[in-house]
Amino acid sequence: MTTESSHTTAQSYGQRIRMQFFKSRRAKWSLRIVYVLLFIAVFADFIANEKPIYCQIEGIHYFPILHEYAENLGWTKKEKRFLRGEWQDYEYERVIFPPITYSPSSIDLYNKYKSPFEEQTIKASHFRHWLGTVDVGKDVAAGLVHGTRIAMMVGIIAMLIASIIGILMGALAGYFGDDGFELTRAKCWMGLFGILVGLLWGWWLPWNSILLAAEEEQFFIAFLKGIGILILSLILFFLLAKGLERSPFFSTKVSIPLDILVMRLIEVFNSVPTIFILLAIIAILEKSSIFHVMLVIGLLRWTRIARFIRSELLRIRSLGFIEASKAMGFSNVRILARHAIPNALTPVLITIAFGIAAAILLESALSFLGIGVGPDEMTWGKLLNYARMKTSAWWAAIFPGMAIFITVTVFNLIGDGLSDALDPNKHER
Amino acid sequence: MFTYLLKRLLLFFPTLIIISLIIFGISRLSSIDPVAQQLVEFEELSFEALQKEQQLLAKKWGLDKPVFYFTLSSKAYPDTLHKIGLEVERQACEKLIAQYGNWDKIQLYRQALFDFEAHVYQLPDSLSNQKIEIRAKTGQLISNYKDVVLTSLLEQLQTILSDNTIVQTKLFLSFERLNQSYQTLKTNTTLQLLYLPSFRWHGLNNQYHHWISRFFIGDFGLSYYDARPVADRILEAAKWTVLLNLISIFLAYLLSIPLGVFSAVKRGTAWDSLLSTLLFMLYSLPSFWVATMLIVFITTPEFGMDWFPTAGVGRLDDSASFWQRCWSYAWHLTLPVFCLTYTALAFISRQVRGGMLDVFGKDYIRTARAKGLSNSKVVWKHSFRNALFPIITLFASVLPASLAGSVIIENIFSIPGMGRLALSAIFQADYPVVFTILLITAILTMIGNLIADILYSWADPRVTFT
Repeated sequence: MTTESSHTTAQSYGQRIRMQFFKSRRAKWSLRIVYVLLFIAVFADFIANEKPIYCQIEGIHYFPILHEYAENLGWTKKEKRFLRGEWQDYEYERVIFPPITYSPSSIDLYNKYKSPFEEQTIKASHFRHWLGTVDVGKDVAAGLVHGTRIAMMVGIIAMLIASIIGILMGALAGYFGDDGFELTRAKCWMGLFGILVGLLWGWWLPWNSILLAAEEEQFFIAFLKGIGILILSLILFFLLAKGLERSPFFSTKVSIPLDILVMRLIEVFNSVPTIFILLAIIAILEKSSIFHVMLVIGLLRWTRIARFIRSELLRIRSLGFIEASKAMGFSNVRILARHAIPNALTPVLITIAFGIAAAILLESALSFLGIGVGPDEMTWGKLLNYARMKTSAWWAAIFPGMAIFITVTVFNLIGDGLSDALDPNKHER
Repeated sequence: MFTYLLKRLLLFFPTLIIISLIIFGISRLSSIDPVAQQLVEFEELSFEALQKEQQLLAKKWGLDKPVFYFTLSSKAYPDTLHKIGLEVERQACEKLIAQYGNWDKIQLYRQALFDFEAHVYQLPDSLSNQKIEIRAKTGQLISNYKDVVLTSLLEQLQTILSDNTIVQTKLFLSFERLNQSYQTLKTNTTLQLLYLPSFRWHGLNNQYHHWISRFFIGDFGLSYYDARPVADRILEAAKWTVLLNLISIFLAYLLSIPLGVFSAVKRGTAWDSLLSTLLFMLYSLPSFWVATMLIVFITTPEFGMDWFPTAGVGRLDDSASFWQRCWSYAWHLTLPVFCLTYTALAFISRQVRGGMLDVFGKDYIRTARAKGLSNSKVVWKHSFRNALFPIITLFASVLPASLAGSVIIENIFSIPGMGRLALSAIFQADYPVVFTILLITAILTMIGNLIADILYSWADPRVTFT
C-alpha cells in the first residue's frame, strides 16, 4: 500500500488519471474503437469510393481519388478520359479499387433493395454490395463509412463549440463569483454605452446595407466594418471613462454579479427543449445542411460544461496556488488562462464525452426524421430511415442502427471510465 | 425558505418572457409569408380587389401590426413600413431605403409603379400576350431593389411598349411617370438620414403583445396550413402525447425503483454488474433504432411475426364499446410505450442506484445496522425514504426528455400526437403551430424545473439561491 501511494504521488495528476483510466478494460477498448472510427472518418474516401485508388490505362498512371481532392481544391480540372462512362467499365491494365467499390451517392439500378445474401447483378465479385443496398441501389456499406465521417464531425465540432462557450461562461461565473469582478462605475457605464453605441451604428442601423453587401458577396467587408465600428466605440468610451474616473463618484468600484448572470442564462437555455428548438431553427432555414445542425447543437449544449467548470473553479479559486498567483500580482486573465482553467479541464472531459454521444444521437435522430440533412449527404439516421420505407429490408435496419449504437455506447463508456478514474471515492468503496 | 420560494417564483416570469422573446424572434426570421401564399388563389381578381384581399389576409394573421412595442431604426425608415402587407414588398422597400435613404421619393416611385400596374390590368384582353409579359415584369419590379436589375427591367418594358402601338398609347403616360420617378429616386438621395437613429413607440397594438397575451388565454392564432385555430389542432394532438407519456413515465418509475434498489443492495456482485451493464446498454440504445427494428421484425408478416400493428392508433366506429376501445388502444400503443419506457427506465434506474449507494455510505445507516435492524427494514425504511427525494425530483428532467423522445416515437409509429404535429407543421411551413408547440414545451420544462427546485428546498432547507 505504502509503495503504491508513494508511487502515485510521484506522478503528475494527468498521468495518474490516465493510469486509472487505462486500468479499466472497457474504457481502454472504447478508446481503441474511437480510434478506428476516427480512422474510418478521415480515410472514408479511400475505404468506400466508386473510383479506384490507383489505375493504369494505356500505360498512364492515374490516382482518381487524389485527383478528386485536387479538383475540389481547384488545382486541376477533371480528367477528360473519365468524363464519360462508369468507373467499373473502363478497361484497366492495372487497378486498385477501395475495399468498398461504391460511393454513398452511387446509384445501381440493377440492385434495388438487395439483401446482402441475395443474388446481385454485378460484374465481378469485388463489386458486390457486402451489406446490401437501399433505395435506387445505394450501397449500405458505403453509406455507413461516409456516415461515420458525418457522425464524428457532428460530435466533435458541436462539442468544440459547446466547450468554447461553456468553458468561457463557466470560468467567468466560477472564478469571479458574484463579487470578484469589480469595475469602476465609469468603466461599467461607459463600457455598456460603448457596446450599445457600437452595436447601434455598426450593426443595427446599417443592417439592411449589410444584407445587401452579403448578396453582393461582400459580406466580409461589411462584417469587418461592423466589428471595426464596435471596437472603435469601445475604445472611445473607455478613454472617456479614464477621464471620468477623476471624479470620486465615478471611481467607486462596483462588482458585477457574473455568477448570477451566467446562471440565469443557463436556466434560459435549459428551459428550451433541444429537439424542439432544433426543429424550429432548421424549419426556418431555407437550405439546411449538417453544419447548421452541428452549430445549433453546439450553441445549445454548452450549459452542462459551463456548470461543471463553474463548480470546479468555485473549488479551485480558494486553493493555495491561485492565492499565490494573486499575491504575485498576476492579472486575472493570466491566472484564469494559465492556472485556473487548465486545472479544471480534466473533469470537463467527462461531460464532453457524454456530450459527443448525445450530439451523435440527436443528429442521427434528426436525419432519421429527414430534417437538417442535405440531399447528397448520407448519414446513419438517413440510412436507417430506408428500413421504415421498406420494412422487409432488415439490413437497412440492423447495420446503421448498430453503427449508431456502438458509437454512442463507446463514447458513453469513455465518459463513465473518466468519471471513475477521476472519482477517488469509487476505489475506496 | 419562504424568501427562496418567492425569489424562485419571481424569476420564473422574467425567464419566461425572455424565452418567449427568443421564440418570437426566431419565428420572425422565417421567410415564409402566409399572405403571399394565400394570395396565389386570387390571381384572377382585378387590381383593386387584389390589393384589398391582401390587406384582409394580412389582418387575418395580425401581420398588419408593428412587430414589437417599439422600433429603433434610422430616420430614413418610416414608421408605417409594417402596413405593407407583402413580405417581399416590405423587404424591397427596406433595401431601397438602405441604398438611397429617401423614403418620400421611394413612396412616389411606388405610387407610380402601382399606378402603372393598375393601367396594365386595364389592357384589353386582345393583347393578352403583352399583358402577361408586362405583368410579369411589373411583378419583378415590385420585388426587386437592385439598381442593375431595375434598370434592365425598365429597359425591357420600354422595348415591349415600343413594339406595339396600342400598348404604347395605353401605357405611355404612366410608364413615363414611373421612369421619371425612378430617376429622381436615384438622384435625390438623403444618405445622411441612415445614420440618424430614431426611436418610435407603437404601444400595445403590436404582433408580439398580441401573440403573447392571446397565448396565455389559450388562443394560439390560426394555422397557416388550414386556417383552423392552432389551439384546436394542438388539443387534439396533446391527448395522445399526454396519454403516451403518462403511461410510460409511470411504468418507468414502477420498474426502475425495484431494479435500482436491487442492484444497489447487491452492489459488487455479479447481479449488480449484469444489471448495470444491461441498463447501460439500454441507456445507449437509440430509441428510434429499437422502434425501427420492432417495426421491421414484429409488425410485418415478412419474418412470420405479425404481432402488432405497424402504425397509427386504429380506427373504431362510434358503436365500439369501452372495452373494445381500450383493447384497441392497448394493442396499438404497446410498442410506442415500450420504446418510450425503456429509455426513461434506464436513466431512472441508474439514478436510483446511485442515490441508494450514496445513502448506504451515511452514518445513520451504519447505526441502523449496528442496532440489529433487519436488512429489509434498513433498505426500505431508512435508506429508500432518504433516497426517494432526489428520485422524485428527477421528474423535472424525465419530462422534457420524454417529450423529446415522443417526437421521434410518434413519428415512427404515426401516432397523431404533438410530436407528429410539430414535424408535419415544419414540413408544411405552418409556423404558428411550430412556435406554439415550442413555447408550450418550454413552459412545461420550466414548470418541471420549478417544481423540482421547490421540492428540493422543501426537503433540504439548506438549499439556497443561485
